[in-house]
Amino acid sequence: MAQVPVQTIHRDPQLFYWILFPITIVMILTGVLRHYASVLMQSAPKKLDQKAIREQRSLLHGINLRGNFHALSKKSFATRRDALVTAFESGAYLKDPERAGQGQPNPLSDPSSMEGMMGMMKNQMAMIIPNTLIMSWINAFFSGYVIMKLPFPLTIKFKSMLQAGVMTKDMDPRWMSSISWYFLCIFGLQSVFNFLLGSDNAASQMAQQMGGMGAAPQMFGPGVDPDKQFKAEAENLAVIEHYSVLDDVEERLLEGITV
Amino acid sequence: MAPSLLFNPAKLPPSEALQLAQQAPVVLQGSSSPSETVDQWATYENLLLACLRTGDDEAAAKCMDQLEARFGPDNERVMALRGLLSEAQAENNGELEAVLKQYDAILEGNSTNLPITKRRIALLRSMGRVSDAATALVQLLDFSPTDAEAWSELSDLYFTQGMYSQAIYALEEALLLSPNAWNIHARLGEVQYMAATTSGSGGGSQQKYLAEALKRFARSIELCDDYLRGYYGLKLVTTRLLKEQAKQAKQTDDGEFTLPDPKTIERLDELATAKLSEIVRHSTLKDRGWRGYDEREVAAARELLSQNGIER
Repeated sequence: MAQVPVQTIHRDPQLFYWILFPITIVMILTGVLRHYASVLMQSAPKKLDQKAIREQRSLLHGINLRGNFHALSKKSFATRRDALVTAFESGAYLKDPERAGQGQPNPLSDPSSMEGMMGMMKNQMAMIIPNTLIMSWINAFFSGYVIMKLPFPLTIKFKSMLQAGVMTKDMDPRWMSSISWYFLCIFGLQSVFNFLLGSDNAASQMAQQMGGMGAAPQMFGPGVDPDKQFKAEAENLAVIEHYSVLDDVEERLLEGITV
Repeated sequence: MAPSLLFNPAKLPPSEALQLAQQAPVVLQGSSSPSETVDQWATYENLLLACLRTGDDEAAAKCMDQLEARFGPDNERVMALRGLLSEAQAENNGELEAVLKQYDAILEGNSTNLPITKRRIALLRSMGRVSDAATALVQLLDFSPTDAEAWSELSDLYFTQGMYSQAIYALEEALLLSPNAWNIHARLGEVQYMAATTSGSGGGSQQKYLAEALKRFARSIELCDDYLRGYYGLKLVTTRLLKEQAKQAKQTDDGEFTLPDPKTIERLDELATAKLSEIVRHSTLKDRGWRGYDEREVAAARELLSQNGIER
């Protein structure tokens, strides 16, 4: 089997100081800036009025009863269940009971949900604008040549990622162009930001993207109909088959504890 | 362990609270450093509480000023602390009434201010207007039924008035929010035992209360196997059940707990006795690993054991 000859490309060592470092430093600085900008732009969480709190916490109360019913005796559980199911189904805990059953309001017409969307927009903008600027800066100044060789071998699949902007078909994927270094920085600087700004920083867009995708559907928010939530919770409560953690607790205790 | 300013000093014995409050000059001196640390404001808040407990209103006022300068007078928590301070500085009932009026005014503007709502309830209770306090608590729990602290307070209010079934209901709600809290299990057992003692001898209701009290204490021990109050309660209930064994009513199955058979009760009684005497013996000798029991509780356990004629 023929050995593929090792490719060598002579590079100016100055590439290292004038391209690699500047890109890294600029990336870090924009990350820090973005963090402080989003801290500044953050609006204070909106205050809920008493009725809204009541609506949310009553629902939580029902969920709690569903989760921890085993701490109660059968009779006290049944009392609570009957009371809550009746209240949930009649909409006694709703913020405005007359709107029950009308379906959810259009989230775009609700001013309170608009505010939340504006917040999201602001965050997105704070992410997109600096990234666009830096990428065009790198493309304008440093495109078209490789700047470093990675110290480990890679498969050919990485070629499009690492050698963006260098159209050379046969080059080893270990050679890297500046735009690829930029991408690596985007994804790899997370731990640097954690170190510089603390773990809940707003600098790394990766965390934000993950949060956006992985988060469970919002419990309380625009576009969720509380009446439906209450009805569903009432149904959940109604089907519980009760058992108590106090059943046979003496036997367990006598078996488990020795003096 | 030396008391730390990082924890709420409300439950500390007086001597340790005093020790904390005496740190006030040092802490207040060191406040000029420009950078704030994570624990700094918790320290100030707890120092404020400790100073109020020990009657050092001056240092407390200084802490308050620092907190207010940092978080602003509109912060809900700062408002509650400010209220607490003025309650402590009030010299007669009239001034307390004025503080109460202030709370009412604040709540008029913002009815969801939980710290102030709770302060108002506590003030009502300490002014002796227990039923007003209970009404206010019920109102609070209507819009915030997931507040274990408030449920426990309500239970305590009812308990002091002898309304045991309401107290049990409120405690059960607290238990729903933290189902593994062994102290609440034991507390529920205590309230049920009290309800059994006052509900008149004989009859099914008394037996139901005792049965559940027995189970609650057993659960509390299951969760924390050296909990003195749990063993104490278990011992009380089993002693009483063994005494009254003859007149046990026929048990009906209506969703309530039923008593275990007499043999199990006897074994539970033995277990509680053995464990109690172990705890009493070790903590009297101050053995390593057996410290931290409240001395009064240990003394009560010793008394209970000697009443039952058991040698330590």
